[in-house]
Amino acid sequence: MTSHLISLILFAPFLGAGLLFFVSNQQRTLVRAIAIISTGLSFVLSFYLLYAYNYQAGGLQFTEQYIWSKELGISFYLGVDGISVPLVLASSILVFCGVFVSWHIKDRLKEFYMFLLILASATMGVYVSLDLFFLYFFYEMSVIPMYLLLAIWGSHTKGYLEMADTAKRDSIGFLFNFAKNSKEYAAMKLTLFLSAGAVVALLGILLIYTTSGLHTFSIPELAAHSHIPGNLKTLIWLLIFFGFASIAPIWPLHSWSPVGHAAAPAAVSMLHAGVLMKLGHFSIIRVAYEILPDTTKQWLIVAAVLCVFSIIYGGLVAYFQRDTKYVIGYSSSSHMGYIFLGMAALNVISLTGAVLYMFAHALATGMLFAMAGFIYDQTHTRDIPSLGGLSRKMPFIMGAFIIALAASVGLPATVNFIGELMIVIGSWPVYPVQTIIALLGIALTMGYLMRMFRGLFFGELSPPGAHAHDASPFVDRLPLVIMMACSLYFGFFPSQFIHVISSGVEPLVAKIQGVAEVVSVPPSGNP
Amino acid sequence: MTFAVQITAADLWALLPELFLSTLLCLILTLDFIKPSGDKRLLAHLSNLGLAVLLVILAEMAVSGVDRRLFGNMFVVDRLALFFKAFVVLSTMMIIAVSVGYTEALPAFRGEYYVLVLFSALGMLLMASANDLLTMFITLEFSTFGFYILVAYQRKDPASSEAGLKLFILGAFTASLIAFGISLIYGETGTLVFDEIARRSQTVTPGLAVGFLLILAGLGFKIGAAPFHGWIPDTYQGAPTPITAFLSIAPKGAAFAVLLRFLLSAFGADKAHWVWLLVLLSMLSMTYGNLVAIAQSNIKRLLAYSGIAQIGNILVGLAAASKTGSDAILFYLLTYLFANLGAFAVIIAVSQQTGGDLIDDYKGLNRRSPMLAATMLIFLLSLAGVPPLAGFIGKLYLFVSAAKEGLFALVIVGLVNVVISLYYYMVVVKKIYVNEPVDSTPLSIPPMMKTVILGSAVFVLLLGIYPRPFFALVTAATQIFVGVNVAVLQ
Repeated sequence: MTSHLISLILFAPFLGAGLLFFVSNQQRTLVRAIAIISTGLSFVLSFYLLYAYNYQAGGLQFTEQYIWSKELGISFYLGVDGISVPLVLASSILVFCGVFVSWHIKDRLKEFYMFLLILASATMGVYVSLDLFFLYFFYEMSVIPMYLLLAIWGSHTKGYLEMADTAKRDSIGFLFNFAKNSKEYAAMKLTLFLSAGAVVALLGILLIYTTSGLHTFSIPELAAHSHIPGNLKTLIWLLIFFGFASIAPIWPLHSWSPVGHAAAPAAVSMLHAGVLMKLGHFSIIRVAYEILPDTTKQWLIVAAVLCVFSIIYGGLVAYFQRDTKYVIGYSSSSHMGYIFLGMAALNVISLTGAVLYMFAHALATGMLFAMAGFIYDQTHTRDIPSLGGLSRKMPFIMGAFIIALAASVGLPATVNFIGELMIVIGSWPVYPVQTIIALLGIALTMGYLMRMFRGLFFGELSPPGAHAHDASPFVDRLPLVIMMACSLYFGFFPSQFIHVISSGVEPLVAKIQGVAEVVSVPPSGNP
Repeated sequence: MTFAVQITAADLWALLPELFLSTLLCLILTLDFIKPSGDKRLLAHLSNLGLAVLLVILAEMAVSGVDRRLFGNMFVVDRLALFFKAFVVLSTMMIIAVSVGYTEALPAFRGEYYVLVLFSALGMLLMASANDLLTMFITLEFSTFGFYILVAYQRKDPASSEAGLKLFILGAFTASLIAFGISLIYGETGTLVFDEIARRSQTVTPGLAVGFLLILAGLGFKIGAAPFHGWIPDTYQGAPTPITAFLSIAPKGAAFAVLLRFLLSAFGADKAHWVWLLVLLSMLSMTYGNLVAIAQSNIKRLLAYSGIAQIGNILVGLAAASKTGSDAILFYLLTYLFANLGAFAVIIAVSQQTGGDLIDDYKGLNRRSPMLAATMLIFLLSLAGVPPLAGFIGKLYLFVSAAKEGLFALVIVGLVNVVISLYYYMVVVKKIYVNEPVDSTPLSIPPMMKTVILGSAVFVLLLGIYPRPFFALVTAATQIFVGVNVAVLQ
């Protein structure tokens, strides 16, 4: 029996975007209602998916398959395994919250929601695609809405506005000027970086397609039957790894990411840091780990080395930023290193931890970006030194910030803690040096987040904050409450999550390590 | 070589599309003479009605599986020919629809405009069936004559005259190249028919090679592949915009019909000798077109250079020289038809009211006409090859066909070019969506134009999301290329 659960989750936001096309921009209530209902549907169904997924059976579930082209061997093949379930949930939570976070946008609200919903669906599309073609299809599709969202509704950073020559600001040549930070520059940089990464990965995908001799793009089929010649495997693996890792973003391919975060409107930063960046990790797991297991084992050392640079470099740069969004952006880049570490160590615990951390980080960084966006809306600045004393003006935001900070650092009671712990425990026997560096990275996170917290909320009330208001009771608080609640709830009761993830991770690790490792997850949930 | 030409009734039926179009053309011409001062829109609508009937005739012929060779194999009517005929007819219909209202406003307008468009279309219909070098040469010239006049239509405008002159001189030069090439090939093989050439050219002789190169160069001029693209930018910029759109689509399609037959039917067995040439042509066109497009400030020139790059993309399928490659070419041409024509339709709609063709005239288009902005976004992104739009599937199909033949260097260059092209398309998108308009009066769009634009947008989406029926269509059309080397020797 085929179930249509996955296509419903995937297409609800798409349909919402389609409906919005026919609504006038003046009917703001209707526009918001459509956005809420379509993302809300996905949100509720993703929760259902988490609990409906049968982790004892494991494997691919809720599959749907329709032949799309016999000529090219493509089928529209959807389904989830233990690794994609949490990511689908994270995407739907963030887009639902994102709708509320962008509630007050004045200019072209309808178009904003349209592009936001397309972005969210495309992201989910990658997580549920079991066909290489559609994985790439959705992957590339997520890039374009990002461009428009950044370029239209984004914000410039300081240097740009100080440019006296307005004609030059809009010239094409300006986009090549690396010194300034306009939103258009950020948007274009992001688009070109991600597209370049995507075509590198596409080359790898085409090589898999042509050399496997199976005339299919289906991932399960390729994983089971492909015979790719040995020397080519290395090339394909590197193409896939670096192609997808550029969105992850692994050092040194990260430079588009903090700029993009800083320029993006809050909801887009949330999706970008929360789920878009994880497309990289996920696609590497889905394509490289599944189809090229032996090469993966041989080459994972690349990830293990680069992740250290990501963690330390991102952390140090974050420490010296003045702009709130840059701090969070670099912090995200740095935290992506933990995921690579968990992926590189490649045992059940570390990989489960990595997947869990992807989910956890989405919530934590989502909260931080939502609040950075809110503070920017209220004070019109993101410059930390010119802010201060906001604790008097926005107590609720301060409270939420503490929880987001705790989650981001990975303090106990948040789901981040469990993810980080599992990564550390799993990686210690394999890469002790990297693990120690990762722990230092956590201390660094604590440092820059505390510094930002102090700068924003304590001290004398600064002039920009004089007319700031706290979050309004419903619209502004709801998204934060949802994300906090999820973070804490799954921090206290992670067992369902861990079971589901490890049901997807165990066979994969067993396949790669060649022999089935007898490392299983603690039986009753609490690690 | 003599052959008695016998025309049977069945042959005439196979010629029905051309005969029908000739009649339509004469009818329109007569009507124009009868009422010189009447409303010329009527002529446009009548032409389109006739072309719609013609499309039905073509579809009927394809369904009934017509496969005839006329006049001693010089003229074939098979599915491939029918596909390209339908392609030409469809693009002509769309061009006439977007011309209504635009060309009437031109100072030099006369009713013969539509006749000339139909005249060129007739040449291209014949071209789609050409199966020997002579027919190829004659139809190629036939279809170009109409364009010489149409491009220089605005006689008072120096840019238009320059465009016409450029096209004419280079076109005449090209014709001489092709004629010389034909004479060499005839001298070596003693035949002009493609299938016969394949049978008689077992060894590659210098004469044959030079003849082949000359014809390839000549056809390269027609499709505007780098380094034979010299005429494209000025001609595209100077011609009236509907003619630019026409020029960018229909003759390219017809020329690819000829190229496919010429390369695969006549020289398919020697493909090891010429594939590298096409690889080179393709790489050059893509890279040159995309790099130069970045620096453009006129939207017509931008599309001219992007058109050179798009031709490079289509050449990827020709370099693959296989059944899959030709499928991919046909499919990509379809995607290109809707995306490129749609983009030109938007340009016409905008310049009709703003009077400008600069990219800066598109600033804030989103505020002036959300529909034009959204459809332009769709068309440009499809040209760039972004999912879920038609161009993405088309490009992927082309790259898959090349990868299957092991042409990975070509695939790599093609993929890099996708990223480069994304840049300049996005610059236009930025102007449309991000910048504020200089003059924010809303734009109104004539109903015919609206139909073409929305219809193209729907097809661009449909080809991208549900391409199955179109895949079936193109694979059926290219049946003659199954196992290229074998088919011609049977």
